[in-house]
Amino acid sequence: MKESEGRPSLGMVLRTMAEDEARLGASSGIEARLLAEVRSIAAARRRRMAIAAFAAAAVVLLALWIGSQRFVPPRLDQARVTEVVTDFMPLTYSGVPSTNLQVVRLAVPRTALVSFGLTPPEPLDHIFTDTVLADVLVGDDGLARAVRFVRPAADQEQMP
Amino acid sequence: MNDVEDAQLLERSRRGEESAFSELYRRYQAGIYRYAVHMCGASAGDDVVQETFLAVLRQRGRTDAPRQTVAAYLFGIARHVVLQRLGSRYQPLTDSGDDDVSEVASGALTALDTLTRAETIAAVRAAVQSLPLVYREAVVLCDLEEMEYAAAAGVLQCPIGTVRSRLSRGRALLVTKLGAVYATAHARRS
Repeated sequence: MKESEGRPSLGMVLRTMAEDEARLGASSGIEARLLAEVRSIAAARRRRMAIAAFAAAAVVLLALWIGSQRFVPPRLDQARVTEVVTDFMPLTYSGVPSTNLQVVRLAVPRTALVSFGLTPPEPLDHIFTDTVLADVLVGDDGLARAVRFVRPAADQEQMP
Repeated sequence: MNDVEDAQLLERSRRGEESAFSELYRRYQAGIYRYAVHMCGASAGDDVVQETFLAVLRQRGRTDAPRQTVAAYLFGIARHVVLQRLGSRYQPLTDSGDDDVSEVASGALTALDTLTRAETIAAVRAAVQSLPLVYREAVVLCDLEEMEYAAAAGVLQCPIGTVRSRLSRGRALLVTKLGAVYATAHARRS
């Protein structure tokens, strides 16, 4: 307890007490509880990172999918399906001049073919309906000038 | 301790790194525990340590480093916890500033020369415990935990001059109280 002068200083006795108390500390259970909290933070952080990574991957995949949709080549079976058409056949007002003609596609009764001397074709899918497709050439005055008949057909097939 | 390293440990702890937190805890838990025991009693030590470090972990959204040292930052949180526990028992003083009581009457301590180490420690501990809280925390931080005045000022949220003033008054009171302890012990022996 003595300093060199033979008298203990306040600092010395405080240091003595501090040395004695150096062994003090929180119980081990406190550190265990705090470490559990740290682990939960780490787990939450991992979850957040996984969600962020998943979201980023989803965005990238979606972008790639959208991009691929824009450049899809026509399907082979679609490419092979064509239309078979007749020549345009004049109608009553075919002689009326018109500067602007438009083609309008209509479904007309199958009997319309007969009136033009044509035989109704057998449909490709073998499902018979009461109508056939026809392209009507219409002038800007609303008068029909000509008509042709249309049906889907495989390559090389010709309309009768 | 390297404060840059401390700051890294703090940041990594907030990110949930166990090893970093363990090291930070190992460095500072004992000091915070002792501070809490001196201020609130032995039963408060564990709770204050736990609440202090939980507060650190719950500030995990913070990315900025503390403006002061990590030690001062941790003790600052601990002090906040301690003051909540003390409530109205802690009466802040209106300090007049740097009115340093530089001359501490040390004659009374001569008496401690005749006490055993255990008796000395018990006497000093009792004297520290009997100090008013504002002086006690200055003595605990600066003399027992050997914190620098600037860091202590950061913890106590007061100017350095006020820390010096409180420390001087606390020391003077300690010397007086220790003299009284010796007188009692001496009378008992004789």
